[in-house]
Amino acid sequence: MYSIKRHPYFFMSLFAPALFLVGGLLLYPIVNGIWLSFTNASPLRPTTDFVGLGNYVYLFEDPQFWDVLGNTVFICSVSTIFCTVLGLIVALLLDSGIRFVGFFRAAVFQVWVVPWIVIAILWGWLFNDEWGIVNHFLRSIGVVEGQMAWLFETELAPWVVIFAYSWRAVPFVMVIALAALQGIPKEIQEAAEIDGAGYFNRLRHILLPLLQNIVMTAALLEAVRFLQEVTIPLVLTQGGPIGATNVLSLFTYKAAFTEWDFGLAAAAGTFWLVFVIIFAGIYNRVALRKSA
Amino acid sequence: MTQSLTMSRRASPSRISRTLRRRANLGMIYVCVTALVMVMLIPVGWMLSTSFKPLKDVFQIPPRWIPEVITFQNYAAQFNEVLGTLTLNSLIVAVCAAALSTFVGAMTAYGISRFRFRGGPVLMLFFMGSLAFPVPLIMISLYGLFVKLGLLNTYAALVLGHTAITIPVSIWLLKNFFDQLPREVEEAAYVDGATPLKVFVFIVLPMARPALAASAIFVFVVSWNELLFGLTFTSTTDMRPLPAGITLIFLQEFEGAWSEMMALAVIVSVPVLVLFFFFQKTFLRGVTAGAVKG
Repeated sequence: MYSIKRHPYFFMSLFAPALFLVGGLLLYPIVNGIWLSFTNASPLRPTTDFVGLGNYVYLFEDPQFWDVLGNTVFICSVSTIFCTVLGLIVALLLDSGIRFVGFFRAAVFQVWVVPWIVIAILWGWLFNDEWGIVNHFLRSIGVVEGQMAWLFETELAPWVVIFAYSWRAVPFVMVIALAALQGIPKEIQEAAEIDGAGYFNRLRHILLPLLQNIVMTAALLEAVRFLQEVTIPLVLTQGGPIGATNVLSLFTYKAAFTEWDFGLAAAAGTFWLVFVIIFAGIYNRVALRKSA
Repeated sequence: MTQSLTMSRRASPSRISRTLRRRANLGMIYVCVTALVMVMLIPVGWMLSTSFKPLKDVFQIPPRWIPEVITFQNYAAQFNEVLGTLTLNSLIVAVCAAALSTFVGAMTAYGISRFRFRGGPVLMLFFMGSLAFPVPLIMISLYGLFVKLGLLNTYAALVLGHTAITIPVSIWLLKNFFDQLPREVEEAAYVDGATPLKVFVFIVLPMARPALAASAIFVFVVSWNELLFGLTFTSTTDMRPLPAGITLIFLQEFEGAWSEMMALAVIVSVPVLVLFFFFQKTFLRGVTAGAVKG
Protein backbone atom coordinates (compact mmCIF):
# COMPACT_ATOMS: atom_id res chain seq x y z
CA MET A 1 0.00 0.00 0.00
CA TYR A 2 2.71 2.47 0.98
CA SER A 3 6.09 2.59 -0.70
CA ILE A 4 9.28 3.25 1.19
CA LYS A 5 10.36 5.85 -1.36
CA ARG A 6 7.30 8.03 -0.83
CA HIS A 7 7.04 7.63 2.94
CA PRO A 8 10.56 7.05 4.22
CA TYR A 9 10.00 8.78 7.57
CA PHE A 10 6.77 6.94 8.31
CA PHE A 11 8.52 3.70 7.44
CA MET A 12 11.43 4.46 9.73
CA SER A 13 9.32 5.62 12.64
CA LEU A 14 7.20 2.44 12.48
CA PHE A 15 10.28 0.24 12.69
CA ALA A 16 12.56 2.30 14.94
CA PRO A 17 11.21 1.12 18.32
CA ALA A 18 11.22 -2.53 17.31
CA LEU A 19 14.69 -2.21 15.83
CA PHE A 20 15.87 -0.85 19.15
CA LEU A 21 14.04 -3.44 21.28
CA VAL A 22 14.49 -6.53 19.14
CA GLY A 23 18.03 -5.61 18.19
CA GLY A 24 19.10 -4.93 21.76
CA LEU A 25 17.09 -7.57 23.57
CA LEU A 26 17.01 -10.52 21.13
CA LEU A 27 19.47 -10.19 18.27
CA TYR A 28 22.46 -8.87 20.23
CA PRO A 29 22.00 -11.35 23.12
CA ILE A 30 21.75 -14.35 20.82
CA VAL A 31 24.78 -13.37 18.70
CA ASN A 32 26.80 -12.40 21.74
CA GLY A 33 25.66 -15.58 23.50
CA ILE A 34 26.93 -17.75 20.67
CA TRP A 35 30.23 -15.86 20.77
CA LEU A 36 30.52 -16.33 24.55
CA SER A 37 30.17 -20.10 24.10
CA PHE A 38 33.69 -20.06 22.63
CA THR A 39 35.14 -18.20 25.62
CA ASN A 40 35.61 -18.78 29.31
CA ALA A 41 33.49 -15.75 30.22
CA SER A 42 32.42 -15.47 33.84
CA PRO A 43 31.59 -12.54 36.10
CA LEU A 44 33.92 -14.14 38.64
CA ARG A 45 36.91 -13.80 36.30
CA PRO A 46 38.54 -10.46 35.52
CA THR A 47 39.40 -11.32 31.90
CA THR A 48 37.72 -13.35 29.18
CA ASP A 49 39.76 -15.60 26.91
CA PHE A 50 38.92 -17.40 23.71
CA VAL A 51 38.86 -21.16 24.38
CA GLY A 52 37.67 -22.50 21.04
CA LEU A 53 35.49 -25.57 21.37
CA GLY A 54 36.61 -26.16 24.94
CA ASN A 55 33.16 -25.66 26.48
CA TYR A 56 31.54 -28.00 23.98
CA VAL A 57 34.17 -30.70 24.55
CA TYR A 58 33.66 -30.35 28.29
CA LEU A 59 29.88 -30.66 27.91
CA PHE A 60 29.95 -33.72 25.71
CA GLU A 61 32.46 -35.50 27.92
CA ASP A 62 30.24 -34.88 30.93
CA PRO A 63 27.89 -37.86 31.46
CA GLN A 64 25.57 -35.59 33.45
CA PHE A 65 24.94 -33.50 30.35
CA TRP A 66 23.87 -36.59 28.41
CA ASP A 67 21.46 -37.46 31.23
CA VAL A 68 20.08 -33.94 31.01
CA LEU A 69 19.56 -34.30 27.25
CA GLY A 70 17.84 -37.66 27.77
CA ASN A 71 15.50 -36.22 30.42
CA THR A 72 14.71 -33.21 28.25
CA VAL A 73 13.86 -35.23 25.15
CA PHE A 74 11.80 -37.71 27.17
CA ILE A 75 9.80 -35.16 29.16
CA CYS A 76 9.20 -32.79 26.24
CA SER A 77 8.28 -35.40 23.66
CA VAL A 78 5.93 -37.39 25.90
CA SER A 79 4.26 -34.16 27.10
CA THR A 80 3.84 -32.97 23.51
CA ILE A 81 2.28 -36.26 22.42
CA PHE A 82 -0.06 -36.32 25.43
CA CYS A 83 -1.30 -32.76 25.06
CA THR A 84 -1.70 -33.03 21.30
CA VAL A 85 -3.67 -36.28 21.39
CA LEU A 86 -5.86 -35.20 24.31
CA GLY A 87 -6.43 -31.70 22.92
CA LEU A 88 -7.41 -33.17 19.57
CA ILE A 89 -9.81 -35.66 21.18
CA VAL A 90 -11.52 -32.94 23.21
CA ALA A 91 -11.81 -30.75 20.10
CA LEU A 92 -13.31 -33.60 18.04
CA LEU A 93 -15.81 -34.39 20.79
CA LEU A 94 -16.79 -30.75 21.08
CA ASP A 95 -17.30 -30.47 17.32
CA SER A 96 -19.52 -33.55 17.06
CA GLY A 97 -22.79 -31.63 17.18
CA ILE A 98 -23.32 -31.31 20.92
CA ARG A 99 -24.59 -28.15 22.60
CA PHE A 100 -22.87 -25.92 25.16
CA VAL A 101 -19.65 -26.04 23.10
CA GLY A 102 -18.82 -22.49 24.17
CA PHE A 103 -19.25 -23.37 27.83
CA PHE A 104 -17.08 -26.51 27.71
CA ARG A 105 -14.41 -24.75 25.67
CA ALA A 106 -14.33 -21.81 28.07
CA ALA A 107 -14.07 -24.11 31.09
CA VAL A 108 -11.09 -25.99 29.65
CA PHE A 109 -9.43 -22.88 28.22
CA GLN A 110 -9.26 -21.29 31.69
CA VAL A 111 -6.63 -23.90 32.57
CA TRP A 112 -4.34 -22.34 29.98
CA VAL A 113 -3.70 -19.31 32.23
CA VAL A 114 -3.13 -21.07 35.57
CA PRO A 115 0.31 -19.70 36.54
CA TRP A 116 3.21 -22.17 36.46
CA ILE A 117 4.22 -21.28 39.99
CA VAL A 118 0.71 -22.25 41.12
CA ILE A 119 1.00 -25.56 39.25
CA ALA A 120 4.33 -26.19 40.99
CA ILE A 121 2.73 -25.70 44.43
CA LEU A 122 -0.46 -27.54 43.52
CA TRP A 123 1.29 -30.54 41.96
CA GLY A 124 3.34 -30.95 45.13
CA TRP A 125 0.05 -31.35 47.01
CA LEU A 126 -1.74 -33.55 44.45
CA PHE A 127 1.23 -35.91 44.25
CA ASN A 128 2.08 -35.82 47.95
CA ASP A 129 2.99 -39.38 48.90
CA GLU A 130 0.98 -39.59 52.13
CA TRP A 131 -1.99 -37.25 51.70
CA GLY A 132 -2.03 -36.62 47.95
CA ILE A 133 -5.31 -37.12 46.14
CA VAL A 134 -3.59 -38.96 43.27
CA ASN A 135 -2.31 -41.68 45.55
CA HIS A 136 -5.66 -41.82 47.30
CA PHE A 137 -7.41 -42.32 43.96
CA LEU A 138 -4.96 -45.01 42.86
CA ARG A 139 -5.41 -46.83 46.19
CA SER A 140 -9.20 -46.64 46.00
CA ILE A 141 -9.32 -48.25 42.56
CA GLY A 142 -6.81 -50.83 43.76
CA VAL A 143 -3.96 -50.03 41.38
CA VAL A 144 -1.45 -49.52 44.15
CA GLU A 145 -1.20 -50.32 47.80
CA GLY A 146 0.42 -47.99 50.25
CA GLN A 147 2.19 -44.96 48.84
CA MET A 148 3.80 -44.04 45.58
CA ALA A 149 6.63 -41.62 46.32
CA TRP A 150 5.99 -39.59 43.16
CA LEU A 151 8.50 -36.87 43.92
CA PHE A 152 11.20 -39.04 45.43
CA GLU A 153 11.68 -41.85 42.91
CA THR A 154 13.69 -41.37 39.76
CA GLU A 155 11.21 -43.30 37.59
CA LEU A 156 8.17 -41.40 38.87
CA ALA A 157 9.29 -37.78 39.15
CA PRO A 158 9.55 -37.17 35.36
CA TRP A 159 5.92 -38.27 35.06
CA VAL A 160 4.83 -35.67 37.58
CA VAL A 161 6.46 -33.04 35.34
CA ILE A 162 4.92 -34.59 32.22
CA PHE A 163 1.42 -34.54 33.75
CA ALA A 164 1.86 -30.87 34.66
CA TYR A 165 3.07 -29.92 31.16
CA SER A 166 0.38 -31.90 29.33
CA TRP A 167 -2.42 -30.66 31.57
CA ARG A 168 -1.45 -27.06 31.07
CA ALA A 169 -1.07 -27.39 27.26
CA VAL A 170 -4.23 -29.38 26.40
CA PRO A 171 -6.41 -26.23 26.21
CA PHE A 172 -4.12 -24.59 23.64
CA VAL A 173 -4.20 -27.56 21.27
CA MET A 174 -7.95 -27.92 21.84
CA VAL A 175 -8.69 -24.30 20.96
CA ILE A 176 -6.54 -24.35 17.82
CA ALA A 177 -7.94 -27.70 16.64
CA LEU A 178 -11.51 -26.66 17.39
CA ALA A 179 -11.14 -23.40 15.45
CA ALA A 180 -9.76 -25.37 12.49
CA LEU A 181 -12.56 -27.95 12.74
CA GLN A 182 -15.21 -25.25 12.79
CA GLY A 183 -13.65 -23.84 9.64
CA ILE A 184 -14.23 -27.07 7.69
CA PRO A 185 -17.42 -26.72 5.60
CA LYS A 186 -20.17 -28.99 6.96
CA GLU A 187 -21.08 -30.04 3.38
CA ILE A 188 -17.89 -32.07 3.05
CA GLN A 189 -18.81 -34.21 6.06
CA GLU A 190 -22.45 -34.50 5.08
CA ALA A 191 -21.55 -35.63 1.57
CA ALA A 192 -19.29 -38.33 2.99
CA GLU A 193 -21.99 -39.42 5.42
CA ILE A 194 -24.55 -39.78 2.64
CA ASP A 195 -22.03 -41.88 0.75
CA GLY A 196 -22.05 -44.20 3.73
CA ALA A 197 -18.78 -43.28 5.41
CA GLY A 198 -18.92 -44.01 9.15
CA TYR A 199 -17.48 -41.62 11.73
CA PHE A 200 -14.07 -43.24 11.93
CA ASN A 201 -13.75 -43.37 8.17
CA ARG A 202 -14.60 -39.69 7.92
CA LEU A 203 -12.13 -38.99 10.71
CA ARG A 204 -9.33 -40.85 8.97
CA HIS A 205 -9.89 -39.70 5.41
CA ILE A 206 -11.33 -36.20 5.80
CA LEU A 207 -10.90 -34.58 9.21
CA LEU A 208 -7.41 -35.66 10.20
CA PRO A 209 -5.82 -34.83 6.82
CA LEU A 210 -7.47 -31.41 6.89
CA LEU A 211 -6.31 -30.80 10.47
CA GLN A 212 -2.84 -32.22 10.07
CA ASN A 213 -0.87 -29.05 9.35
CA ILE A 214 -2.47 -26.84 11.95
CA VAL A 215 -2.38 -29.46 14.73
CA MET A 216 1.19 -30.49 13.96
CA THR A 217 2.23 -26.81 13.99
CA ALA A 218 0.54 -26.35 17.36
CA ALA A 219 2.40 -29.44 18.61
CA LEU A 220 5.74 -27.99 17.46
CA LEU A 221 4.98 -24.68 19.20
CA GLU A 222 4.18 -26.57 22.40
CA ALA A 223 7.37 -28.66 22.14
CA VAL A 224 9.43 -25.47 21.83
CA ARG A 225 7.54 -24.00 24.81
CA PHE A 226 8.21 -27.13 26.91
CA LEU A 227 11.93 -26.80 26.17
CA GLN A 228 11.83 -23.24 27.56
CA GLU A 229 9.76 -24.19 30.61
CA VAL A 230 11.67 -24.17 33.86
CA THR A 231 9.34 -23.38 36.78
CA ILE A 232 8.24 -26.93 37.60
CA PRO A 233 11.73 -28.51 37.57
CA LEU A 234 13.20 -25.53 39.42
CA VAL A 235 10.57 -25.07 42.13
CA LEU A 236 8.86 -28.45 42.54
CA THR A 237 11.53 -31.08 41.94
CA GLN A 238 14.68 -28.96 41.93
CA GLY A 239 15.95 -31.15 39.13
CA GLY A 240 15.85 -34.20 41.40
CA PRO A 241 15.58 -36.81 42.65
CA ILE A 242 19.19 -37.58 41.65
CA GLY A 243 18.92 -35.42 38.55
CA ALA A 244 15.90 -37.27 37.15
CA THR A 245 14.07 -34.06 36.22
CA ASN A 246 17.14 -31.98 35.43
CA VAL A 247 16.28 -30.61 32.00
CA LEU A 248 18.26 -28.49 29.56
CA SER A 249 16.59 -25.21 30.55
CA LEU A 250 17.35 -25.76 34.23
CA PHE A 251 20.88 -26.98 33.51
CA THR A 252 21.67 -23.93 31.36
CA TYR A 253 20.17 -21.49 33.85
CA LYS A 254 22.05 -23.00 36.76
CA ALA A 255 25.34 -23.10 34.86
CA ALA A 256 24.93 -19.39 34.15
CA PHE A 257 23.47 -17.97 37.34
CA THR A 258 24.33 -20.43 40.10
CA GLU A 259 27.82 -21.39 38.99
CA TRP A 260 28.36 -18.15 37.04
CA ASP A 261 30.06 -20.10 34.24
CA PHE A 262 28.75 -17.99 31.36
CA GLY A 263 30.94 -19.75 28.78
CA LEU A 264 29.67 -23.22 29.60
CA ALA A 265 26.05 -22.05 29.89
CA ALA A 266 26.34 -20.28 26.54
CA ALA A 267 27.64 -23.50 24.98
CA ALA A 268 24.67 -25.46 26.39
CA GLY A 269 22.29 -22.74 25.17
CA THR A 270 23.87 -22.65 21.71
CA PHE A 271 23.63 -26.42 21.47
CA TRP A 272 19.95 -26.14 22.45
CA LEU A 273 19.35 -23.51 19.74
CA VAL A 274 21.07 -25.58 17.03
CA PHE A 275 19.15 -28.66 18.15
CA VAL A 276 15.81 -26.85 17.83
CA ILE A 277 16.66 -25.43 14.39
CA ILE A 278 17.67 -28.84 13.02
CA PHE A 279 14.69 -30.53 14.64
CA ALA A 280 12.23 -27.95 13.28
CA GLY A 281 13.74 -28.31 9.80
CA ILE A 282 13.28 -32.09 9.79
CA TYR A 283 9.85 -31.82 11.41
CA ASN A 284 8.76 -29.34 8.77
CA ARG A 285 9.54 -31.89 6.05
CA VAL A 286 8.18 -34.99 7.76
CA ALA A 287 5.11 -33.84 9.68
CA LEU A 288 3.68 -31.09 7.53
CA ARG A 289 1.79 -31.69 4.33
CA LYS A 290 2.84 -29.48 1.44
CA SER A 291 -0.11 -27.79 -0.16
CA ALA A 292 -0.04 -28.25 -3.89
CA MET B 1 -41.24 -42.71 -8.61
CA THR B 2 -43.32 -45.42 -6.98
CA GLN B 3 -40.20 -47.42 -6.46
CA SER B 4 -38.49 -44.68 -4.52
CA LEU B 5 -41.62 -44.17 -2.43
CA THR B 6 -41.77 -47.80 -1.35
CA MET B 7 -38.05 -47.73 -0.75
CA SER B 8 -38.34 -44.81 1.61
CA ARG B 9 -41.32 -46.38 3.35
CA ARG B 10 -39.47 -49.59 3.84
CA ALA B 11 -36.42 -47.72 5.07
CA SER B 12 -38.32 -45.85 7.74
CA PRO B 13 -37.86 -48.36 10.62
CA SER B 14 -34.12 -48.34 10.03
CA ARG B 15 -34.19 -44.56 9.93
CA ILE B 16 -35.85 -44.51 13.33
CA SER B 17 -33.22 -46.82 14.69
CA ARG B 18 -30.58 -44.58 13.14
CA THR B 19 -31.91 -41.52 14.92
CA LEU B 20 -32.09 -43.53 18.12
CA ARG B 21 -28.52 -44.64 17.66
CA ARG B 22 -27.48 -41.09 16.97
CA ARG B 23 -29.24 -39.95 20.14
CA ALA B 24 -27.45 -42.66 22.11
CA ASN B 25 -24.13 -41.64 20.54
CA LEU B 26 -24.77 -38.03 21.40
CA GLY B 27 -25.51 -39.06 24.97
CA MET B 28 -22.20 -40.94 25.11
CA ILE B 29 -20.41 -37.87 23.78
CA TYR B 30 -21.95 -35.68 26.49
CA VAL B 31 -20.77 -38.17 29.11
CA CYS B 32 -17.25 -38.27 27.65
CA VAL B 33 -16.98 -34.49 27.33
CA THR B 34 -18.26 -33.89 30.84
CA ALA B 35 -15.86 -36.48 32.22
CA LEU B 36 -12.87 -35.00 30.36
CA VAL B 37 -13.72 -31.44 31.37
CA MET B 38 -14.07 -32.54 34.98
CA VAL B 39 -10.70 -34.30 34.90
CA MET B 40 -9.18 -31.08 33.54
CA LEU B 41 -10.76 -29.07 36.35
CA ILE B 42 -10.05 -31.48 39.24
CA PRO B 43 -6.68 -29.93 40.14
CA VAL B 44 -8.22 -26.45 40.35
CA GLY B 45 -11.19 -27.75 42.32
CA TRP B 46 -8.95 -29.57 44.78
CA MET B 47 -6.87 -26.42 45.22
CA LEU B 48 -10.01 -24.44 46.08
CA SER B 49 -11.38 -27.14 48.36
CA THR B 50 -8.13 -27.49 50.32
CA SER B 51 -7.73 -23.73 50.67
CA PHE B 52 -10.95 -23.46 52.69
CA LYS B 53 -10.17 -26.29 55.14
CA PRO B 54 -8.62 -25.97 58.57
CA LEU B 55 -5.18 -27.58 58.43
CA LYS B 56 -6.18 -30.64 60.46
CA ASP B 57 -9.01 -31.50 58.02
CA VAL B 58 -6.56 -31.48 55.11
CA PHE B 59 -5.16 -34.83 56.24
CA GLN B 60 -8.53 -36.61 56.50
CA ILE B 61 -8.80 -39.99 54.88
CA PRO B 62 -10.87 -40.45 52.79
CA PRO B 63 -10.48 -36.88 51.52
CA ARG B 64 -13.62 -34.74 51.41
CA TRP B 65 -14.42 -32.52 48.43
CA ILE B 66 -16.78 -30.28 50.36
CA PRO B 67 -14.98 -29.11 53.51
CA GLU B 68 -16.67 -30.10 56.76
CA VAL B 69 -15.70 -26.80 58.30
CA ILE B 70 -15.17 -23.82 56.01
CA THR B 71 -12.56 -21.35 57.16
CA PHE B 72 -11.15 -18.17 55.64
CA GLN B 73 -8.23 -18.26 58.04
CA ASN B 74 -5.83 -19.55 55.35
CA TYR B 75 -6.59 -16.53 53.19
CA ALA B 76 -6.43 -14.07 56.03
CA ALA B 77 -2.98 -15.40 56.90
CA GLN B 78 -1.72 -14.46 53.41
CA PHE B 79 -2.65 -10.81 53.63
CA ASN B 80 0.63 -9.33 54.65
CA GLU B 81 2.88 -6.62 53.36
CA VAL B 82 5.27 -8.95 51.52
CA LEU B 83 2.62 -10.60 49.37
CA GLY B 84 1.09 -7.18 48.71
CA THR B 85 4.43 -5.85 47.47
CA LEU B 86 5.06 -8.89 45.27
CA THR B 87 1.59 -8.67 43.74
CA LEU B 88 1.95 -4.95 43.06
CA ASN B 89 5.35 -5.55 41.44
CA SER B 90 3.92 -8.26 39.22
CA LEU B 91 0.98 -6.04 38.25
CA ILE B 92 3.18 -3.07 37.34
CA VAL B 93 5.60 -5.17 35.31
CA ALA B 94 2.86 -7.13 33.52
CA VAL B 95 0.86 -4.02 32.59
CA CYS B 96 3.94 -2.14 31.35
CA ALA B 97 5.20 -5.15 29.37
CA ALA B 98 1.73 -5.68 27.86
CA ALA B 99 1.54 -2.03 26.79
CA LEU B 100 5.09 -1.87 25.42
CA SER B 101 5.03 -5.19 23.58
CA THR B 102 1.59 -4.57 22.10
CA PHE B 103 2.22 -0.98 21.02
CA VAL B 104 5.64 -1.56 19.49
CA GLY B 105 4.35 -4.83 18.07
CA ALA B 106 1.45 -3.02 16.39
CA MET B 107 3.77 -0.47 14.76
CA THR B 108 6.09 -3.16 13.44
CA ALA B 109 3.25 -5.39 12.30
CA TYR B 110 1.60 -2.51 10.47
CA GLY B 111 4.87 -1.65 8.75
CA ILE B 112 5.40 -5.23 7.59
CA SER B 113 1.79 -5.52 6.50
CA ARG B 114 1.48 -2.27 4.55
CA PHE B 115 4.96 -1.64 3.14
CA ARG B 116 6.09 -3.90 0.35
CA PHE B 117 9.77 -4.63 0.88
CA ARG B 118 12.03 -7.59 0.54
CA GLY B 119 12.91 -7.86 4.20
CA GLY B 120 9.31 -8.39 5.32
CA PRO B 121 9.08 -12.19 5.04
CA VAL B 122 12.62 -12.55 6.40
CA LEU B 123 11.69 -10.43 9.41
CA MET B 124 8.60 -12.57 10.09
CA LEU B 125 10.71 -15.71 9.88
CA PHE B 126 13.19 -14.19 12.34
CA PHE B 127 10.43 -13.25 14.76
CA MET B 128 8.86 -16.71 14.68
CA GLY B 129 12.27 -18.33 15.03
CA SER B 130 13.15 -16.13 17.99
CA LEU B 131 10.47 -17.95 20.01
CA ALA B 132 12.95 -20.82 20.08
CA PHE B 133 15.84 -18.66 21.35
CA PRO B 134 16.79 -20.27 24.68
CA VAL B 135 15.82 -17.80 27.39
CA PRO B 136 18.79 -18.62 29.67
CA LEU B 137 21.14 -17.99 26.73
CA ILE B 138 19.58 -14.58 26.08
CA MET B 139 19.71 -13.79 29.79
CA ILE B 140 23.49 -14.14 29.90
CA SER B 141 24.02 -11.18 27.58
CA LEU B 142 21.04 -9.25 28.96
CA TYR B 143 22.57 -9.55 32.42
CA GLY B 144 25.77 -7.88 31.22
CA LEU B 145 23.77 -5.25 29.34
CA PHE B 146 21.58 -4.41 32.34
CA VAL B 147 24.61 -4.18 34.62
CA LYS B 148 26.16 -1.65 32.25
CA LEU B 149 22.95 0.35 31.95
CA GLY B 150 22.40 0.24 35.72
CA LEU B 151 19.03 -1.45 35.26
CA LEU B 152 19.55 -4.41 37.61
CA ASN B 153 16.92 -4.57 40.34
CA THR B 154 14.52 -2.20 38.57
CA TYR B 155 11.11 -2.73 37.00
CA ALA B 156 12.64 -1.67 33.68
CA ALA B 157 14.86 -4.77 33.53
CA LEU B 158 11.83 -7.02 33.97
CA VAL B 159 9.61 -5.07 31.57
CA LEU B 160 12.31 -5.14 28.87
CA GLY B 161 13.00 -8.83 29.43
CA HIS B 162 9.32 -9.76 29.25
CA THR B 163 8.87 -7.57 26.17
CA ALA B 164 11.75 -9.35 24.46
CA ILE B 165 10.23 -12.80 24.89
CA THR B 166 6.68 -11.75 23.93
CA ILE B 167 7.07 -9.20 21.14
CA PRO B 168 7.46 -11.86 18.42
CA VAL B 169 4.01 -13.22 19.26
CA SER B 170 2.52 -9.73 19.44
CA ILE B 171 3.91 -8.89 15.99
CA TRP B 172 2.72 -12.18 14.52
CA LEU B 173 -0.80 -11.79 15.95
CA LEU B 174 -1.19 -8.20 14.83
CA LYS B 175 0.32 -8.72 11.39
CA ASN B 176 -2.19 -11.47 10.67
CA PHE B 177 -4.94 -9.13 11.79
CA PHE B 178 -3.74 -6.18 9.67
CA ASP B 179 -3.37 -8.45 6.64
CA GLN B 180 -7.06 -9.27 6.87
CA LEU B 181 -8.22 -5.71 7.44
CA PRO B 182 -9.72 -4.22 4.25
CA ARG B 183 -7.51 -1.40 3.03
CA GLU B 184 -10.22 0.69 1.38
CA VAL B 185 -10.94 2.70 4.51
CA GLU B 186 -7.30 3.59 4.99
CA GLU B 187 -6.85 4.44 1.34
CA ALA B 188 -9.93 6.66 1.37
CA ALA B 189 -8.69 8.55 4.41
CA TYR B 190 -5.27 8.91 2.84
CA VAL B 191 -6.73 10.26 -0.40
CA ASP B 192 -8.74 12.73 1.68
CA GLY B 193 -5.45 14.13 2.93
CA ALA B 194 -4.79 12.38 6.25
CA THR B 195 -1.12 11.64 6.89
CA PRO B 196 -0.14 7.96 7.16
CA LEU B 197 0.53 8.47 10.86
CA LYS B 198 -2.97 9.84 11.41
CA VAL B 199 -4.48 6.99 9.42
CA PHE B 200 -2.60 4.51 11.62
CA VAL B 201 -3.44 6.11 14.96
CA PHE B 202 -7.03 7.21 14.39
CA ILE B 203 -8.34 4.63 11.93
CA VAL B 204 -6.29 1.44 12.03
CA LEU B 205 -5.61 1.12 15.78
CA PRO B 206 -9.27 1.54 16.81
CA MET B 207 -10.28 -1.12 14.28
CA ALA B 208 -7.60 -3.45 15.63
CA ARG B 209 -8.94 -3.46 19.19
CA PRO B 210 -9.63 -7.23 19.41
CA ALA B 211 -6.12 -8.05 18.19
CA LEU B 212 -4.54 -5.44 20.46
CA ALA B 213 -6.48 -6.89 23.41
CA ALA B 214 -5.44 -10.44 22.48
CA SER B 215 -1.80 -9.39 22.34
CA ALA B 216 -1.99 -7.49 25.63
CA ILE B 217 -3.65 -10.44 27.41
CA PHE B 218 -1.04 -12.83 26.06
CA VAL B 219 1.84 -10.64 27.25
CA PHE B 220 0.20 -10.10 30.64
CA VAL B 221 -0.20 -13.84 31.18
CA VAL B 222 3.39 -14.60 30.14
CA SER B 223 4.73 -11.83 32.34
CA TRP B 224 2.67 -12.98 35.33
CA ASN B 225 4.21 -16.45 34.89
CA GLU B 226 7.80 -15.55 34.25
CA LEU B 227 10.24 -16.84 36.86
CA LEU B 228 13.85 -16.62 35.64
CA PHE B 229 14.10 -12.88 34.94
CA GLY B 230 12.48 -12.24 38.30
CA LEU B 231 14.98 -14.48 40.10
CA THR B 232 18.04 -13.07 38.36
CA PHE B 233 17.43 -9.41 37.55
CA THR B 234 16.00 -8.39 40.92
CA SER B 235 17.70 -8.73 44.26
CA THR B 236 15.39 -7.16 46.84
CA THR B 237 11.85 -8.01 47.90
CA ASP B 238 10.51 -4.57 46.97
CA MET B 239 11.31 -5.28 43.29
CA ARG B 240 10.53 -9.00 43.05
CA PRO B 241 7.55 -10.22 41.06
CA LEU B 242 5.30 -13.00 42.41
CA PRO B 243 6.83 -16.22 41.01
CA ALA B 244 10.36 -15.32 42.09
CA GLY B 245 9.22 -13.95 45.44
CA ILE B 246 7.15 -17.03 46.23
CA THR B 247 10.01 -19.35 45.27
CA LEU B 248 12.51 -17.49 47.43
CA ILE B 249 10.42 -16.42 50.40
CA PHE B 250 7.22 -18.39 50.88
CA LEU B 251 8.00 -21.99 49.96
CA GLN B 252 10.69 -22.20 52.62
CA GLU B 253 8.30 -21.11 55.36
CA PHE B 254 5.30 -23.35 54.79
CA GLU B 255 6.56 -26.85 55.68
CA GLY B 256 3.41 -28.90 55.25
CA ALA B 257 0.88 -26.12 55.83
CA TRP B 258 -0.93 -27.25 52.69
CA SER B 259 -4.17 -25.38 53.27
CA GLU B 260 -2.28 -22.08 53.51
CA MET B 261 -0.23 -22.92 50.43
CA MET B 262 -3.39 -23.61 48.46
CA ALA B 263 -4.83 -20.29 49.61
CA LEU B 264 -1.68 -18.58 48.38
CA ALA B 265 -1.95 -20.44 45.07
CA VAL B 266 -5.55 -19.31 44.66
CA ILE B 267 -4.63 -15.69 45.37
CA VAL B 268 -1.85 -15.79 42.77
CA SER B 269 -4.17 -17.35 40.16
CA VAL B 270 -7.13 -15.05 40.67
CA PRO B 271 -5.91 -11.98 38.71
CA VAL B 272 -5.13 -13.93 35.51
CA LEU B 273 -8.13 -16.25 35.83
CA VAL B 274 -10.51 -13.31 36.25
CA LEU B 275 -8.89 -11.30 33.45
CA PHE B 276 -9.07 -14.28 31.14
CA PHE B 277 -12.62 -15.13 32.17
CA PHE B 278 -13.85 -11.75 30.99
CA PHE B 279 -11.67 -11.43 27.89
CA GLN B 280 -11.53 -15.03 26.67
CA LYS B 281 -13.90 -14.34 23.77
CA THR B 282 -12.02 -11.24 22.67
CA PHE B 283 -8.77 -13.14 22.97
CA LEU B 284 -10.06 -16.00 20.81
CA ARG B 285 -11.39 -13.58 18.23
CA GLY B 286 -8.04 -11.82 18.02
CA VAL B 287 -6.05 -15.05 17.84
CA THR B 288 -8.18 -17.03 15.41
CA ALA B 289 -8.49 -14.09 12.99
CA GLY B 290 -4.99 -14.91 11.85
CA ALA B 291 -4.43 -18.48 12.97
CA VAL B 292 -7.02 -20.18 10.79
CA LYS B 293 -5.73 -18.45 7.71
CA GLY B 294 -2.33 -19.86 8.62
